[in-house]
Amino acid sequence: MRTESFKRVIAQTRKELTELLRDRLAIALALLLPLLQLALLGSSFALIVRDLPIIVQDYDDSTASRALIDQFRGSLTFRIVPWPTDRQPDVAFADGRARGALVIPEDFGRNLARGTTADVQMIVDGSDANTAKLLAGYAGGVVRSFNQARGSVPVRAGVQTAIRFWYNPSLSSQKFYAPGIFVMALSMFPPLLATLAMAREGELKTILQVYVSNISAHEFVLGKVLAFVVVGLAEASVLLVFLFSFFGIRLAGDPTPFMLATLLYTFCVASFGVMVGAAIPNQGAAMQTVMFGGFLLVFMLSGLMFPLSNVPIGLRWISNLVWARYYIEIVRDAFLQGGGWPAVWYKVLVIAAIGSAFYGVAWRRMRRMQLEV
Amino acid sequence: MQLGFGRLVSHRFIALVRKELNQIKRDKRIMLSLVLPPLLQLMLFGSVMNPEVTNLPLGVVDDSRSPASRDLIAALAESGSFRLHMLYGSIDTMGNDISKGTIDAGVVIPYDFARDLERGRTTTVQVLLNAMNANTAAISQGYIQGVVQSFNMTLRQPSVALNVQAVPTAASSRGIAQLRPTLLYNPGGVTTWFIVTGLLGVLLLMNGTITASTTMVKEREAGTLEQLLMTPASISEIIIAKIAPPFFLLGITGLVAMAVLELYFHVPFRGSVTLLAVTSALCLLCGIGIGTAVATVTKSAQQAQLAIFFLNPPLISLSGALMPAEAMPSWMRPFTAVNPVYHYGVIARATLIKGSGLVDLWPNVLALLIFAVGLVSVSVWRFRRQLG
Repeated sequence: MRTESFKRVIAQTRKELTELLRDRLAIALALLLPLLQLALLGSSFALIVRDLPIIVQDYDDSTASRALIDQFRGSLTFRIVPWPTDRQPDVAFADGRARGALVIPEDFGRNLARGTTADVQMIVDGSDANTAKLLAGYAGGVVRSFNQARGSVPVRAGVQTAIRFWYNPSLSSQKFYAPGIFVMALSMFPPLLATLAMAREGELKTILQVYVSNISAHEFVLGKVLAFVVVGLAEASVLLVFLFSFFGIRLAGDPTPFMLATLLYTFCVASFGVMVGAAIPNQGAAMQTVMFGGFLLVFMLSGLMFPLSNVPIGLRWISNLVWARYYIEIVRDAFLQGGGWPAVWYKVLVIAAIGSAFYGVAWRRMRRMQLEV
Repeated sequence: MQLGFGRLVSHRFIALVRKELNQIKRDKRIMLSLVLPPLLQLMLFGSVMNPEVTNLPLGVVDDSRSPASRDLIAALAESGSFRLHMLYGSIDTMGNDISKGTIDAGVVIPYDFARDLERGRTTTVQVLLNAMNANTAAISQGYIQGVVQSFNMTLRQPSVALNVQAVPTAASSRGIAQLRPTLLYNPGGVTTWFIVTGLLGVLLLMNGTITASTTMVKEREAGTLEQLLMTPASISEIIIAKIAPPFFLLGITGLVAMAVLELYFHVPFRGSVTLLAVTSALCLLCGIGIGTAVATVTKSAQQAQLAIFFLNPPLISLSGALMPAEAMPSWMRPFTAVNPVYHYGVIARATLIKGSGLVDLWPNVLALLIFAVGLVSVSVWRFRRQLG
């Protein structure tokens, strides 16, 4: 009896996969597009700007001021573009030629020689506030190293900071965003295919054949879900190979929570797709719903791009229900932090719980419609 | 004669436009999808997408336990960028919490901190930052150094006043250069301005492509396109009449979106609103042109929807609308030149926040104009070839 049931599940899975393999568009959706998305978004997402164009207005023109300018020129972050001293710096900001202006007043060298504090102004184009803050921070660093190079560390030296960047010492944006895009692709395409397959059965009324067959609701739903778990795992492997080779991302610690979570997550998203497809027997509408859940929610409320702590409190609680959020945290832990089980155990459980809830709803939906024998 | 012909054309054209308008009015879903989502998206995305670094949970290991170390901790916790989460007994437990993600930054104050300061020696504080998110780490690095610098300033003053001996030594050492950063146009450093001005273009493009492709495909799926062709109207007239209503409706939505920018996000309107309105219309036309072109190559509404869905993400992600284009890898940056969203984003930001005018922005305006004219004529041409 048990083996009978098992056989029916496998048969359902096989039917689904065969159907999928015959559809070229579906294969492209499952493997090619996620890969493209990862390559494109993974490398284009970055907030840290290097090679910022700045202009310099040196009213002092002394040895000291030229040394400071050289210090700026030598940094990787800034690129000095020529600008006449008699023109206002904001003219250069208006057409985007420069993002910052270093203004050295005429008493700069004299003040330094006297041993007092010499002010330098850095005017930053604030239209992109994040970049502006970065720029101001970098400029502060350049001036600090200028002071150190001159040996003019004040007597009461005070506190120095030794800053260590953990998990991402080179401050690479890709290490942060590429795993996030991996999660986004995995949250989008397998449920999209699952929902299209499920809604198609409803739209073409082939679901009626299922009702009159001897397959039970559990067997049917499980068969469907398993098929898309297989699709999801295939997609995940392709994307992981790409992550490891193209983006040079490595595992940071114990990979077992990540492996288990990936399995559960594919189950979760496949169940989500099947659930939506079972609830909405219309391919267009089902697709839109999956796009909302698989794309919009993930994009906005999973911490993919920006820290969740910046989300207004009224919206932030929604993110507790966004399944991708937990998976993103697990993936980032596996690739960057390496905290392992103690850091992520409950997140794995939450994914399993949300997945089971989706599965349960899909199953109830099917059971209700199925005829009693 | 010329005048009479012109009037005939406009008459026919107006009739067609009225037909389209009535159709849109009757279809509640389209009506809703034209007005509601763009505004909701703007408000949602605008308030959710925020790279600001505030209230980072901070852990401290204070081995010094002195008034000086407590001063430093207070200075860090009061800065607004950090929030003191916990005092730890050892670096190991703090490190564990960083790896669990409970805290994002950790400061280790050595046991000889206060003694060194008293003796006028340099003391080093170790700062551990969770640099997973490179941007957050880079900005908090700047913040920490700023806080420490001003902490040092407060240290120096009493010592100079108290210790007469210190004055000559201070004079004999060389002076220090101090940077005074000023944020022009945005002194408060509001990060949302950047995102919402970029979102404006994203929304115009996204909604333009979606509505244009659905209205076009719908007519074809229903088989009524042939009927339209039987009317005396020319193909260009039919297409322009089809484009006009969503263009105007989305245009109104665009205006409302600008009002949201001003009233809800308090973005300053420093430049010419006319320039912004004209370029918004051009950006919208680009979106509608792309949507129409997609509709001519796809067979069903579903296919069109999918095609749009795969066209828009690269257009948006490679536009510099949500993240600075300069942060992209250099091999990708040239692609922005052929992206209408990029040019519109540059224009919107420069006119609104910086108050730039046409003199500064003409290359972007010109590019946008070329794209709009090009895309609309391509879609007209495709339709003519398919139906003629």
